[in-house]
Amino acid sequence: MSGMIFDRDWLRIALIVISVFAAPQHPRAGGVNFGDDDQGTADKGPAYFGFVREVGGPGIADAKVTASLKAGGALVTRTDIMGVYKIPGVGKDINPDDVTISCAKDGYKEANVVRRPGSDPKDPIETECYLQKE
Amino acid sequence: MTRMLCLAAAIAFLLGAIDSNACRAQSLAGSVSSAEESAMEGVLVSVQKSGSPIAVTVVSDERGRFRFPAARLSPGRYALRIRAVGYELDGPQAVQLGATGAEVAIRLRRTSDLAAQLTNTEWFISMPGTADDKRPLIECMSCHTVERIVRSTYDAEQFIPVLRRMAQYANNTIQARVQSRVAAREVNDASVRKLASYLATINLSRASQWDYELQTLPRPKGRAAHVVITEYELPRQTIAPHDVRTDAQGNVWYSNFVENFLGELDPRTGANRDYAIPVLKPDFPTGTLDLEADAEGNLWLAMMFQAGLARFDMTTKTFRIFPVQSELNDDAMQQSMVMPHALNVDGKVWTNDVARQAIMRLDLETGLYQRIDPFKLLSRGHPHSPYGMAADAGDNLYFMDFGDENIGRVDARSGAITIYPTPTPKSRPRRTMLDGDGRLWFTEFTANKLAMFDLKAESFKEWNVPTPHTYPYDVFADKNGELWSGGMASDRVLRFDPQSGRSVEYLLPRSTNIRRVFVDNSTDPVTFWAGNNHGAEILRIEPLD
Repeated sequence: MSGMIFDRDWLRIALIVISVFAAPQHPRAGGVNFGDDDQGTADKGPAYFGFVREVGGPGIADAKVTASLKAGGALVTRTDIMGVYKIPGVGKDINPDDVTISCAKDGYKEANVVRRPGSDPKDPIETECYLQKE
Repeated sequence: MTRMLCLAAAIAFLLGAIDSNACRAQSLAGSVSSAEESAMEGVLVSVQKSGSPIAVTVVSDERGRFRFPAARLSPGRYALRIRAVGYELDGPQAVQLGATGAEVAIRLRRTSDLAAQLTNTEWFISMPGTADDKRPLIECMSCHTVERIVRSTYDAEQFIPVLRRMAQYANNTIQARVQSRVAAREVNDASVRKLASYLATINLSRASQWDYELQTLPRPKGRAAHVVITEYELPRQTIAPHDVRTDAQGNVWYSNFVENFLGELDPRTGANRDYAIPVLKPDFPTGTLDLEADAEGNLWLAMMFQAGLARFDMTTKTFRIFPVQSELNDDAMQQSMVMPHALNVDGKVWTNDVARQAIMRLDLETGLYQRIDPFKLLSRGHPHSPYGMAADAGDNLYFMDFGDENIGRVDARSGAITIYPTPTPKSRPRRTMLDGDGRLWFTEFTANKLAMFDLKAESFKEWNVPTPHTYPYDVFADKNGELWSGGMASDRVLRFDPQSGRSVEYLLPRSTNIRRVFVDNSTDPVTFWAGNNHGAEILRIEPLD
C-alpha cells in the first residue's frame, strides 16, 4: 500500500515537473488551427461542481465560487440561477486534495463547505458550499 | 454669404473634418431602381473620383433616394459602384459632378453570379452541415474567403494535402503574399480528414453547381442606411492593415500584417506613409499584429515571427526594437499581442509567446523577457492561446484565452494567476478593451457573442450578436456606452447598445476582412475606424445619428 502511495506521489511529482518545464517548451508553433476544437479532453482532471446554498434554504444565484490551488492560482466562476456551479478543465496533474472550494456573496458569510469525492479519481468532485446571511 | 460658407469650410478643413475643395462642391444625389423592385432601399452607392484613393459610400432610403454630403465631393468625374446582393450595376458607370451638383438615376439588373456576392456569413448560413462541421472553416477566413473553398473542385482525398500545406502558412498570410512558417505546425490527422470529407460535400467536386440554396441577408434599412462610409485605398495590395487607431491630430495609424512597416494615413488627403520596422529574422515571415499606444502616446507593435516588440516614438518617428533574447528565441517564437498601457507603473510590457501558449513580460530596463505559463492550472492537452490583452491601473494583466473559454488575470506583483471560465463553453474570447469603469469588453469569437467582464465584481455578461455566423473579432465600447464590433465574416459593422439590446448593422461597400476596431470618441457622433485586412484599405464609418 505504501509502495502504491509512493508510486502515485512519484508520478504526481513527475507530472508536475513535466508540466512546468516540458509543456511550455512544446511548440504548437502557432495559434489555433482547424480541428483544435476537437482536441484535448483526455488531459482534463475531474470537474468541480455543486450547489451554493443558503443554510437551510435554497440555492443562491450569482454567488462567486473559487477553486484555490495550494501551489497558487485560482479558478473563479459564478453560480447559475439555481445556485449550481461547475469548474471544468482543471489539469489532471493537479491533485484534487490541493484544490479548495470556497464561495462568497455580498450580504452573506461562508458557513460550511461539504465535499463529496467520488469513488473514482476521474469522477467529478461535488462540493456544496453553504452561506449564511450576515 | 458664399465667402462665409467657404471660410467655415476652410476652418472645418483645418480641423480635419472635410475635403479642402468643399466650398466649391455641390451635392451628388440620385435614385436607385431596377425592373424587379422599382425604387430600391438599402443599396450602397459608392463614388470614387478619378485618380483619388478615396471612395465615399451612402445608402439609398425607403424611396430609393440617396444623397452624398456636399462637403465630401469636389467637382470632377466619379466612378460609380453599388452593393445590393442579387444585383449589379446596369448603368451609368460614372458621373460628372459639376459646380452645381449632379443628379443620377442608377439602374440595377439581376446578377448572373450570385455566389460571387455572398459574404462568408451567407456561405455559412447556406451550406449544409452541423455547427461542428462548419466550425473549422472559421480559421480559413484568416487568409481567404469561404467562396474560395466552395468554388473548389477537390474531392476529400485531394483536400488532405491542401489542408496540410495551408496549415504551414503563417497567420500573417493574405492572397497577395503567402508566408510560410519556418517551424512546422503540428496537424491533427483525424481533424484534417474529417474536415476534408466535409469540404468535399459543400464545394463543386460533385456537380457544376451547389446542391444547396444560396441564402442572402437582407439589405440595410432604417438606421442602418443613415451612414457615410469612406474607404481609403492603400498604395499596395500587400499592405494588410490589421490594427487601426487615430492620434490626437486625426491621423490614422495601422499595423501591417504582412509587410514590416508601420502605416500612417492622412484621412484628409488619403496620403499614405510607411515607416520601416527593422527586420530581425530575415528568413521568417514579416508583419506586425497588435498596435497599442502607451500613456505617452507612443505606439507599440507586436512583431509576430520577427520575435519581439517595437516601440515607435511619435515625436522622433523612430523605432526602438526589443528582440526576444536568444535563449528563448527559437524558430517558433511569435508575438501577436502587446500591452504597454501601464508600463509607467513598473517599467514592464506584457506580450505573448503564441507557440508555447505563454505570457511574456518585457523588462524595459534589462530588455529581457520573462516567460509565464498562464495555463498551469488547466489541462495540457486542450489548446489554449493567450490573445487579446488589457492592463489595469496597477499593470495587472487580463488576457483572452482564444484557444478555449477563459479570461485570465496575472497579478503584476505576485505573478498569481486567476482563471475565469466564460459562461458559454468553448467561447474562444478574442480581442478586448478595458473601459474607464473597470469593465473588460471582449468578443466571443466562436460563440458569436459580445461579452463584458466586470473586474471588480468578477462577473460576466454576454450578448448574442444579431446575425448568426458573424464570428466577431473585436469590440470597442464608445463614450456613449455603445459597442462597435467587426470581424472577418459578415462584411458588416455592428453597433450595439447593451442597455437596450438595440442594434444596427452597417453593411460595407465591399468584401471586408476586419480585425481590430477603433472608435474615435472626439467626434460627435463618434467615428468608427478599421482596416480591411485582405483589401488593402482603411475604413471610416460615420453614423448620421
